[in-house]
Amino acid sequence: MAETTLSAPAKPAPNSNRPGTAALLLNNTLATSGLAVLLAICLIALAAPILPLPDPDVTAPANRLLPVFSEGHLLGTDHLGRDLLSRLIWGTRVSLAVGLSATAIAAFFGSLLGLVAGYAGGRTDAVIMRGIDMVMAFPYILLALAIVAVLGPGLLNALYAIALVNIPFFARNIRGITLGLSRREFVDAARLSGKSPVQILFLEILPNVLPVIVITMSTTIGWMILETAGLSFLGLGAQPPQADLGSMLGEGRKILFTAPHVSIIPGLMIFALVMSINLFGDGVRDILDPRLRAGSLTRPVSRTAVERDCTSVPQPSSEDGVLDVRGMRTEFQIGSSVYKAVGGVDLHLKQGECLGIVGESGSGKSVTAMSIMGLVPTPPGRISGGAAYLEGEDLFAASNRRIKDLRGGTVAYVFQDPLSTLHPLFTVGDQLKEAISTHQPLSGKALTDKAVELLTLVRIPNAKERLSAYPHELSGGMRQRVCIAMALANDAKVLIADEPTTALDVTVQSQVLTLMNGLRREKNTAVLFITHDFGVVSALCDRVAVMYAGKIVETGTTEDVLSNPRHPYTAKLIDCVPVLGQPERRVDAIEGRPPVVNNLPDGCAFAARCPRARAACRRGEIELEMTTGDSGVRCLFPLGKGEDA
Amino acid sequence: MKKLLATALASAFVAFAPPVHAQTPPNVLVVGQIAEPKSLDPHAVTAVNDFRILLNLYDGLVRYKDGTLEVEPSLAESWTISGDGKTYTFKLREGVKFHDGSDFNAAAVKFNFDRMLKEDHPYHDTGPFPLAFFFSTVEEVIAEDPMTVTFKLSAPYAPFLSNLAYPTGLIVSPEAVRQHGADFGRNPSGTGAYKFAEWDANAKMVAVKNEAYWDGAPDLEAVIYRPITDANTRIAEMLSGGLDVMVEVPPDSLQQFKQDENFSVLEQAGPHVWFLILNTREAPFDSKAARQAANYAINKTALVDNILQGTAEVAAGPTPPAFAWAYNETLEPYPYDPEKAKALLAEAGYVGEEITFFVTEGGSGMLDPVAMGTAIQADLEAVGMNVKIETYEWNTFLGKVNPGLEGQAAMAEMAWMTNDPDTLPFLALRTEAMPENGGFNSGYYSNPKVDELLEKARQVTDQSERAALYKEMQEIVQDDAPWVFVANWKQNAVTKASVEDFKLQPSFFLMLQDVKKPM
Amino acid sequence: MAGYIAKRLLAAIPVLFGLTIIVFLIMAMIPGDPATAILGSYATPENVAKLNKDLGLDKTLVEQYLIWIGNLFEGDLGRSYTLNRPVLDEVLERFSATLILAGTALVLCSILGLIAGIISAVRQYGWADKAITLLVLIGISTPSFWLGLLLILVFAVNLKLFPVSGMYAIYGGGDLPDLLHHLALPAFTLSVVATGVIARLTRTAMLEVLRQDYIRTARAKGLSERKVIYKHAFKSALVSIIPVIGIQAGFVIGGAVYIETVFQWPGIGSMLVKAISTRDLLLVQGGVLVVAAAYVLFNLLADVVQTLLDPRLR
Repeated sequence: MAETTLSAPAKPAPNSNRPGTAALLLNNTLATSGLAVLLAICLIALAAPILPLPDPDVTAPANRLLPVFSEGHLLGTDHLGRDLLSRLIWGTRVSLAVGLSATAIAAFFGSLLGLVAGYAGGRTDAVIMRGIDMVMAFPYILLALAIVAVLGPGLLNALYAIALVNIPFFARNIRGITLGLSRREFVDAARLSGKSPVQILFLEILPNVLPVIVITMSTTIGWMILETAGLSFLGLGAQPPQADLGSMLGEGRKILFTAPHVSIIPGLMIFALVMSINLFGDGVRDILDPRLRAGSLTRPVSRTAVERDCTSVPQPSSEDGVLDVRGMRTEFQIGSSVYKAVGGVDLHLKQGECLGIVGESGSGKSVTAMSIMGLVPTPPGRISGGAAYLEGEDLFAASNRRIKDLRGGTVAYVFQDPLSTLHPLFTVGDQLKEAISTHQPLSGKALTDKAVELLTLVRIPNAKERLSAYPHELSGGMRQRVCIAMALANDAKVLIADEPTTALDVTVQSQVLTLMNGLRREKNTAVLFITHDFGVVSALCDRVAVMYAGKIVETGTTEDVLSNPRHPYTAKLIDCVPVLGQPERRVDAIEGRPPVVNNLPDGCAFAARCPRARAACRRGEIELEMTTGDSGVRCLFPLGKGEDA
Repeated sequence: MKKLLATALASAFVAFAPPVHAQTPPNVLVVGQIAEPKSLDPHAVTAVNDFRILLNLYDGLVRYKDGTLEVEPSLAESWTISGDGKTYTFKLREGVKFHDGSDFNAAAVKFNFDRMLKEDHPYHDTGPFPLAFFFSTVEEVIAEDPMTVTFKLSAPYAPFLSNLAYPTGLIVSPEAVRQHGADFGRNPSGTGAYKFAEWDANAKMVAVKNEAYWDGAPDLEAVIYRPITDANTRIAEMLSGGLDVMVEVPPDSLQQFKQDENFSVLEQAGPHVWFLILNTREAPFDSKAARQAANYAINKTALVDNILQGTAEVAAGPTPPAFAWAYNETLEPYPYDPEKAKALLAEAGYVGEEITFFVTEGGSGMLDPVAMGTAIQADLEAVGMNVKIETYEWNTFLGKVNPGLEGQAAMAEMAWMTNDPDTLPFLALRTEAMPENGGFNSGYYSNPKVDELLEKARQVTDQSERAALYKEMQEIVQDDAPWVFVANWKQNAVTKASVEDFKLQPSFFLMLQDVKKPM
Repeated sequence: MAGYIAKRLLAAIPVLFGLTIIVFLIMAMIPGDPATAILGSYATPENVAKLNKDLGLDKTLVEQYLIWIGNLFEGDLGRSYTLNRPVLDEVLERFSATLILAGTALVLCSILGLIAGIISAVRQYGWADKAITLLVLIGISTPSFWLGLLLILVFAVNLKLFPVSGMYAIYGGGDLPDLLHHLALPAFTLSVVATGVIARLTRTAMLEVLRQDYIRTARAKGLSERKVIYKHAFKSALVSIIPVIGIQAGFVIGGAVYIETVFQWPGIGSMLVKAISTRDLLLVQGGVLVVAAAYVLFNLLADVVQTLLDPRLR
């Protein structure tokens, strides 16, 4: 039952940037209420000896089966006249103790087996896992039953049985993770430094596995309590007169039709207990699970949310062009912090033109590209200002339906990593045909022919046979060609290529670039080309825009910018381009890191890394100064001609 | 999506929706059984649950007279017993046929007993026959002529006739045994009022009217036996109309049925006794005072009235009152007297050492053993006894109790249902019946006088003479208190109000020959 | 594929073999013996010894095991002491009943769990998601045997909408509608926990998949949201859900013990419980073998389906 998963991830605390564990937990209402109920139950159960309760085992046959709210017996009495409230509280105490200890035992032995099997591998692993398989193949209740039959009934024996039955879940979970960890570098390092396997297992691997053990435990305790109750229900758990929730339910069940409260009350208690544990366990898991903690398990909706001030939507520029982006701002809300990934970007793209956007990772260039067709995931992203005009139509104001029709039709995308951007479970043919048929009323043979034609267009040999290939069966270059074919399927006017060659090796890169360049000229497509590599820009783009910290810092024709960079950042970037025969140039990377966009400094964002920065650079807003029609720079002290940064 | 979901739910509802109720027609009686029958071969089974079916499919040479535990003729019209009590000669009823069409005669009777008792019999391997020892005194069965059969016993054995009335004495069709061999138990053939029709394993066993029944064909067209192992489910079925008759109704539900005019409730005392075996070999119950103290300390009236809700009566001694002729009417149960119990315990020198109490979770005739054990423990606790309960599932429990309590426990629950006053004391109270000798005297009670009385009662065939011996035995045993005598169960059953002429028998058998269900 | 299946089946053989030995050992360790169980109150050592001999139980454990294994290869699982019929007949009858119950429950929990999980993921944090999350938690926190009792009380005894127990009506009936009518309550009860587990897993799996690059690609292609979710995302999510459904099959068959007891369903779970308590070694052995083999097959089936869905695993 360890396959349980998540509910709502914790909402972050309002006043801190990185919410702490406790704060995270407390902000999850469900988890908090679970914790509250659980604590209340635990406290009452712990306090049982000091509460003014009648002895839970004293019988009074004359007072049997009193209903709820009888005098002196708040919850009534059972078939022997014992006080139900008292038995309920004492019983909860027992059930909780059993559930916890069974979980602890199962977690200990299961994790141990999993660690050993995962780390040792080979024969040891095979033997242990076959044993685990055997236990799992045995119907679990019957195994518990058989164990109790051998050991004799009694709560302790039921506990052992339940623990044993649950060992496989821990063992399997932990083994899987250990297996992955034991191939990691830090384990190799430990091994080389002469640590013994035991030391490696417990000092290196165990700390990394611990969160998973805790998660599995939190999802197992509730299950364990149910199981113990089940065994007691079958008469194999607590021995009379001792009360535990399961045996109370089992005893009460015999008189379900005459005195339903005797079985409904312990049933509700089991339910409340297990429910509160599960709610709390969910919360704990949400916190310990790194994916959830990063908020990365929220579902992105189909289109980026647009939250802009409608009164100040910028007008399209007067020049004619296919794509016109004006003052576009895109933000990410993570926790309480707002990351201004794109801080007001203007772009202009004419028919058949290729504009390169260059910048380091984190500069906002990809977000700019994604924002145009609303492909930035929401949550956490949103477009907070500006406009993008496609042939004069405000894309941020268009309907979802309109956007859907434009995507892949008028505006097509090619993404960075062709392995992850193609669906692994569909053939490339299916994916290509889907791209076509979404926008063109083709089907059957015509559709296949069109797909083959497209694959041939992107120079894939044996196009027809390749249709039935899965992405993983193709090389990286081939995959990217498929992506390009998909993008070209519907004669797009604008092609947005987000680092399409970054994941490819160099020879393939140049082939793909040549292909793209040829095709865009052939089809007269406007291309927005995102890259971090000036080398690529020089080969392909007519114009270039350099981005830093969410803003364009320099723009101009490729020739101008390359030969005469004016912003120090541009100059540094150009210096990073490797030149054949000068391998040491790569070492000259830009020192420091780009600023975090949730806390941008005043003035020039690059000032901290700029050798030419002066006091004035750190004050006020610095405008993009347009010199000629097409070129401009956002710098108070731009470089002169031939000057080095 | 929502539409899809709605469609799915709607179609699911249609699929699972109740079809037009197939109501059981009149004259078909549905009986709730507590378990699937093991076999319908009367010689192969041991459970009362199976007996309830078998008595309607088969007849024995003799049977219990309606409402008593006294034998009357059945397939045998009459019989004579030799003076030494070792030869029984039966005159058989003429013209009786088995359901498979073969004739009932002396050869068939001989076949039945030889199959059970002779290891070299060609069909002995269609067993095993666990209760064959009921007839272990039978040396030889002789078919004198087609309608006369003689049993030669190795020693006088007074309970012999009574044992013949027991299901182990029912007569099966030799033809059917020859035909089906070991599977006879699933293809039974007898001479009874109902014929076997079908057995749908774990769902139902159907028997239909035997038009040619020698004692008059029954009114019912068919009887359907449904095995429902869970008492709660059985009650639910009864309440929802899925059963016409159910037996062994839990006490609390019995009250509910009594108040509902759609049902009739029947009760019938039977030869049952529920008691605690006390370990007389070890402290504290090696002392008679301590054993009597336990008898005084336990509030038996509260047990039968409250826990058993009046479905049992307080037991006075080892012999249940249902054996009217052998029961000692002068015996009074030990009264509830905790003060006297404390005094007796002090006299016995018991100062609160922990003692172990074996309790079972269920089992034939055990009533509500856990609740009763718990209440008994509480009563003993109240007089200063420190009792620790250990519960075991029935078979484990028997495996622990039958070999004797020495070294294991001071007391254990037990209940017996027998067909003759001889059986229980003979098997469980004699010196020679110690567990090491293969008996059931798990508490090691030994009194030479009791041994002598029981031995003698077997030899004499005159009932009043036997009765006197048993009555004397009861007095001695009650005073020695080797057991705590707790309860005599009244068997109960619930029927739909439309079921007529349904009766319970002291034998605990369920005779359906005369039952009617016109609606 | 065939080779893979054959390899997996071969690997299962030692597991099943080991299991039969474990069953024999466990049964030998349980106090009490079948003869005592049959004789009940009449179990004197003498009677027990005689009956044990008649039943062939006076042989050593090893001998009994070898005889059993020998018969197994001839397709004979022996004869049950307590039921007086061939183990194979009983086990197959009982197992098919369990298969109907557990199979229906499994189909039910897969459908409901997947639908609930998808809705929950698609409407993340919406009221539907919250309601489903809460329902799912309630489902996995309720003792199933207790739920079964309450359902009987309400729907069978009071409302008389469904039968209390059994598989077919006792008179008439026997057809499919009759079976479905009897199946409704127990199958639903049995599916509750598994539905919860599958729904939760589906939700996570869907959320994880929806963040994948290839989903962005699908959207960039201009696919409708319906296609993105039900075709692209769901297929990927299914790959990680299928093995869990396989494991759930084991749980559902195991959990069927309670449900079979409560609803008097003539399944293999309640048969095994009884067989253990009556020490019917061969019946336990046969039953466990069949259930374990079914478990192995279920998981193999899940793996095969997974492999069919995911070409990378081929």
